[in-house]
Amino acid sequence: MSDSAIPAAIKVQAPPIELEREALVENQRSIGWISDRVAAIVEGKAPLWWWAAFIPSVTALGMLGFLLFYQITVGVGVWGNQHPVMWGWDIINFVWWIGIGHAGTLISAILFLLRQKWRTAVNRAAEAMTIFAVMCAGIYPGLHVGRVWFDWYLFPIPNSNIIWPQFRSPLMWDVFAVSTYFTVSVLFWYMGLIPDLAVMRDRAKTKIRKFFYGLFSLGWTGANRHWSNYEKAYLILAGLSTPLVLSVHSIVSLDFAVSQLPGWHTTIFPPYFVAGAVFSGFGMVLTLLIPLRSMCKLEDIITIRHIDLMCKVTLATGTIVGYAYIMELFIAWYGGNPYERYAFLNRIAGPYAWGYWIMMCCNVIVPQLFWIKWCRTNLIFVFIMSILVNVGMWFERFVIIVISLHREFLPGNWGYFSPTWVDVCTYLGTFGLFFTMFLLFLKFVPMIAISEVKGVTPQADPHHPLGGAKGGHH
Amino acid sequence: MKTIPPPCPEPDTGPKYWRSLDQLADKPEFRQWLEREFPEGASEFTDAVSRRYFVKIMSASFLLAGLGATGCRRPVENIMPFAKQPENYIHGVPQKYATAMPIRGTAIPLVVESNDGRPTKIEGNALHPDSNGGTDHFAQASVLNLYDPDRSMRFAKQGGVTAKREEALDFLSSVAQQAAGNGGAGLCFLSERTNSPSRDRVQKLIAAKYPQAKWFVYEPVDFDIAREAATVAFGKPVTPYFKFDEAEIILSLDSDFLALEENAYLNIRRFAKTRRLAKAGDKMSRLYVVEGLFTLTGANADNRLRVATSQVQGIAAHIALAIVKDSSLQAPLQAMADAVKLTAAQQSWVAECAKDLAHSGAKAVVVAGYRQPLEAHLIAHAINSALGAVGTTVALQDYDRPANGTLAELAEQLNAGSVDTLVILGGNPVYNAPADLNWTVAQGKAKTVIRLGYYEDETTASKTAPTLWHLPQAHYLESWGDARTADGTVAPVQPLIQPLFGGLTELEVLARLGGLEKTNPHDIVRETFRGLAGDDENKWRKFLHDGFLAGSAAKAGGASLSFSAVAARLGAAKTANAPTSNSLEVVFYRSHAMDDGRYANNGWLQETPDPITKLVWDNAVLMSPATADALGVGKFKAEARNNEASAGLFENQIVEVSIGARKVEGPVWIQPGMADNVVGISLGYGRKVDWRIARGQHKEGTGFDGYRLRTAAAPYIAAGAKVTGTSATRALASTQEHGAMEGRPIIREANLAQFEKNPQFAVALNTHEPPAPLNQPIYKNPFDEFKKRGVHQWGMVIDLNTCVGCSACVLACQSENNIPIAGKDQVRRGREMSWIRLDRYFSGNVNDPQAAFQVMLCQHCEAAPCENVCPVNATAHNEEGLNVMAYNRCVGTRYCSNNCPYKVRRFNYLDFNRRPLDSLKGPVYSMPILNSVDGEWELARWWKNPDRGLKPDEEWDLLALVKNPDVTVRMRGVMEKCSFCLQRIEQAKIAQKVKAGPSGDVQVPEGVIKTACQQACPAGAITFGNLNDANSEVSKAKQNPRNYTVLDYLATKPRTTYLARVRNPNPNIKDSYETMPGTTDEYVKKNHVKGDPFATHHGSDHGAPAAAGKGGHH
Repeated sequence: MSDSAIPAAIKVQAPPIELEREALVENQRSIGWISDRVAAIVEGKAPLWWWAAFIPSVTALGMLGFLLFYQITVGVGVWGNQHPVMWGWDIINFVWWIGIGHAGTLISAILFLLRQKWRTAVNRAAEAMTIFAVMCAGIYPGLHVGRVWFDWYLFPIPNSNIIWPQFRSPLMWDVFAVSTYFTVSVLFWYMGLIPDLAVMRDRAKTKIRKFFYGLFSLGWTGANRHWSNYEKAYLILAGLSTPLVLSVHSIVSLDFAVSQLPGWHTTIFPPYFVAGAVFSGFGMVLTLLIPLRSMCKLEDIITIRHIDLMCKVTLATGTIVGYAYIMELFIAWYGGNPYERYAFLNRIAGPYAWGYWIMMCCNVIVPQLFWIKWCRTNLIFVFIMSILVNVGMWFERFVIIVISLHREFLPGNWGYFSPTWVDVCTYLGTFGLFFTMFLLFLKFVPMIAISEVKGVTPQADPHHPLGGAKGGHH
Repeated sequence: MKTIPPPCPEPDTGPKYWRSLDQLADKPEFRQWLEREFPEGASEFTDAVSRRYFVKIMSASFLLAGLGATGCRRPVENIMPFAKQPENYIHGVPQKYATAMPIRGTAIPLVVESNDGRPTKIEGNALHPDSNGGTDHFAQASVLNLYDPDRSMRFAKQGGVTAKREEALDFLSSVAQQAAGNGGAGLCFLSERTNSPSRDRVQKLIAAKYPQAKWFVYEPVDFDIAREAATVAFGKPVTPYFKFDEAEIILSLDSDFLALEENAYLNIRRFAKTRRLAKAGDKMSRLYVVEGLFTLTGANADNRLRVATSQVQGIAAHIALAIVKDSSLQAPLQAMADAVKLTAAQQSWVAECAKDLAHSGAKAVVVAGYRQPLEAHLIAHAINSALGAVGTTVALQDYDRPANGTLAELAEQLNAGSVDTLVILGGNPVYNAPADLNWTVAQGKAKTVIRLGYYEDETTASKTAPTLWHLPQAHYLESWGDARTADGTVAPVQPLIQPLFGGLTELEVLARLGGLEKTNPHDIVRETFRGLAGDDENKWRKFLHDGFLAGSAAKAGGASLSFSAVAARLGAAKTANAPTSNSLEVVFYRSHAMDDGRYANNGWLQETPDPITKLVWDNAVLMSPATADALGVGKFKAEARNNEASAGLFENQIVEVSIGARKVEGPVWIQPGMADNVVGISLGYGRKVDWRIARGQHKEGTGFDGYRLRTAAAPYIAAGAKVTGTSATRALASTQEHGAMEGRPIIREANLAQFEKNPQFAVALNTHEPPAPLNQPIYKNPFDEFKKRGVHQWGMVIDLNTCVGCSACVLACQSENNIPIAGKDQVRRGREMSWIRLDRYFSGNVNDPQAAFQVMLCQHCEAAPCENVCPVNATAHNEEGLNVMAYNRCVGTRYCSNNCPYKVRRFNYLDFNRRPLDSLKGPVYSMPILNSVDGEWELARWWKNPDRGLKPDEEWDLLALVKNPDVTVRMRGVMEKCSFCLQRIEQAKIAQKVKAGPSGDVQVPEGVIKTACQQACPAGAITFGNLNDANSEVSKAKQNPRNYTVLDYLATKPRTTYLARVRNPNPNIKDSYETMPGTTDEYVKKNHVKGDPFATHHGSDHGAPAAAGKGGHH
């Protein structure tokens, strides 16, 4: 069809070129191209890079399995945890992974509610990342305890002794917060997947693929009623997830804030932790997507603009975190409590000062470069920055947990924490779990929300010159 | 098994019936058959220990326990089936027996708890006239030695061949026959120092029988110098006994009388009496210490003078010159004084000290330590005499004991080839003889060596000095014996259990070697007692029941100083030049943990931190910071170990200490407070054995052997040493990495004058509390209600002024509460399990610091921060104010520990109870699931019996016996902590409820419950009791003006509070002790306090923490 066929009366004047928003999908890619390109990753033979990433990941996952077995049979003592630093890499990594898990839900829920259309290109991968990160995180609180086989004591299971968990304990809240978050995240992710799974089903060439995609797409036909229900359900889940984004990390932060340890006992923790979590989550999304977009040839879908926008979120949250750091220092001084004061002095200039300054550099100082546009759009630079963000956020947890614990009230029991090889390798092992899951996700599930991306293309906009039935290639 | 005839007591009078021809003939076989409590093979573990055998013997022990009246055990030669409950025996109810622990020339009166026939807990005998029930830490730990899986379990012939007991006894008889033939020519006895009346009697009997036999005594750390000096000084055999409780001014000349001298536990008790301050105006003693090392006594000093150990006698001479006016002593004293050059500050110190002593007169006392030469002791006696203190603070006990030769004399005899048979009774000379005696070679020159030893140790195993016979020695808890305690009172040593491995006592071996008629130690002791108290069975029973013979204390004989003898000895005194960095002085001292090495295989003691260095599992080459700087060894920053702490672990440089050709290598440990150019080496480490705890000198061994550097001539102070650094390092484990209190009001101290001015000074140091409106709790604490109406509300007060830091409480807690040891590697990771920490803080000048100690245990906070963070309710409050742990419920999140401001919770990271030490070493731990023990796969063992440890059966079975059955043995993954000895509280409550019956008077009377730490504390520094009883000691102690709460501002409302420490320095001595204690000074400086820190309001600026809390925390 051509433009001439449309009567001039109903012809909508396209906005002037200078006011038009940059297209979310570049190069005016067609709807069909989007389906083909995204599905190709799943349907094609696994490329070499995939295997190159998958084999070490599975190896690391195996190592994780062994190390957890080792830790359970021998005892928590195989880690560096000690007196007085009773929590070490276990809780650092728990909080770190949970923090990373924040970007996915934030992108999928909050940005959805705020109608930030650019989220569509990244939300699927980010949500998957969330789920896998929460899985990695979940390992730690479950297995860091002394007697793993009694973990079920943490759940309110009616029993003959009428002993309930202690509902005043933030660890108890953690159990609920994290499990709720995980459940809702999985549901949300799976909900969003259904139309795409149907696409995959329809495109499938083998019986097995047809069967499984068919099974998981739950009989999706793309009917109007399906879409209508789907949109409502998606909105409801987005509404449910939004408070969770805030609650999970707030509650994790309460593990610390509720205690009375100088350096932990701080009311600023909940918002500061949430900001930090979003910060690290976006860092991780960038770390994953920058290489992926080129390896999967998705430059037209995950555009520089996306990168730019995510850098801006990173800059904003990083600055909030920086404000929190400075506020903590100020309150420590202003509050006049000598123990508090010492705790912060010890962070800045104590034996672990290097940890504090790595955190400060990576989380506060370096992200300020994102004020410069070049820094937000140079992929290599952003990639390096995204890794630094996650290093910085790891050290933030290290600073909070280890530095606060190793020197607190009575100098007579001060100590020095060092991790063991088991700590380090278990951490690496969780990367194995994470990347194994993520690579399998890439291989079996469309990593871009096909239907949603199509929905934000100009072709999907009936008012757009290219929109409606006009511009399609179908 | 043979059938045992029923008991058939022989009447003392009337017709006697004989049961067999053997009896009539009184053949030795028959006698032995009678004397044996159990048939051959059942009374000792001839094979490796097995549970089956053990239970057999154990059930016999129950019976014995029941048969005698409680507290008095008689050997009864029968065995009965356990079908019938023995009288006075209630299964599960522990029984207590009085006994005594003989140690060198003295003994500690004890009451030992026995659970189903196995001794488990040692306590002091409070009935004893010279005891308050306190003990020292060695006594507390000694019960573990009884169950030591490495102890000698067999009779062995030359070359370590296991032999039959009879064979060995026959051999002893043959020696006896031979000696009877030749009058004991060539027979030499080498024993440890002892003061058992029976031992003395037997020695006299044998000496009469074998006039040619020779007797020698050797103690590597010998306190006999005190007696020797008193004997010289007073011209007749006397032993000095110091009554520190009578003293106002005490001067210690290098005497560690509060820790490592003889009878330290008594001294602590007496000293503590003079330090108890109930209100302003109470009297308090003043302790001056002159020393080279930094000892516990020095740490408790009010004024301390740091001089090289060899110079102490010169300082003593300076002081004596100012006090002793006798003309004959002036010249020799002057000569000794002149050998020491004093600085102006030292001069004034000495003058003020002398003035103080003179002013106090008969109420002063001067003591010299065992490291000091005889001359220093003589000067002390001269000063005491001149002050008129002899008879008031110094009692002289008459002394009548057989004379013995020294080890050096024995070595001479051996080298001369005049020794045929050498009998070594205890001791371990191959390990601990002076290096210059070349003892191993000398011992090899004896034709026959018979050795009675608790371990098959260096002396038994020596290849070059072979032992012909090794006899296993019985533990004192398995032995019949007797001993004299410090005041000379005779106390019984009675067995609580049959010798586990058929060990012999010294008495029995001597009796057999002497061919005496009676060889059964019980009979020997009985016989001795007959000589002391007459043949009254009731007296004997009372003796065993009470644990002492009333009225048998040594007579305090009047004596006056023999000036001529003292002058003669002083005139011949050797003076030493002050050490320099080229010619250092090495001081050898008794280890706080190993003693002289005898406790090397005692895991509890290995893991008991030295109170000053806080090192465990190792000794070190101690030196002052300045000396280390001058020598360029080690590294040290002034912030009291801050620097090392940041490295996390102590990797210390190994240095070589050499004196002439002799040298040892050990890690250097920089110890503030030591005199410069003095090197301290503690003895007892570096054993050349490969036992489970004590390890040879390889990398993972325990310490290095200081004896290799020691000579007979200079046993304690050796001059002319050189120290050179090596490139090697050694990892040391210390339980406290940070030594400074950082200006925090944790231990609160004031000088006496400040206390007088403001008795509530401790409360004045409270950190400011949050503003009042915020201080109102939103929710009412339900425990406040319990507090009002509960019968019992438990609380504890610890008096920091009487606590000297001796560690007896730490060991008592370990023994009472089944606390495992973790091993050196785990201590380095901060994972020791002790429920009581003894925090030691240094303050002031790094070269001459003050030290302060604080016993830190669960504070049982009313608003406990640990409780509300536990997700599973495993730690909760009970209605009596205890913070209790439900171990079964604990999953081990460790959150409670993170939230505990006192950090008194310990986490069992690696199943410390069940795993052998070897598997508790990182970085790669063995996986229990892959292990096999005794040739059986661990998983299969676990399947059969999940309670079994990973230790081999024989070790596990023995170690299980030391456990207190009233306290859970915690598994791994569980948080544990002080429970205020909940088991004792509950026992007392149940007993009271039974007693109360319908009367309803269920309140446990004051004094019935004593926590293990409180019971063991010789100072009586720990008070525990019911806060709801206004008349209880603890309620009174809480009213003490010095009472304060650690970390009061957190409002955790601990039930454990502390009484602040008061120092009493001489105000005229201008030194760091002068204005205020170091910790307080630090507090003032760090918190920018202006004016009087103890004023209720002071002008502190910018919201400094010191803003006074009014009226404390209540």
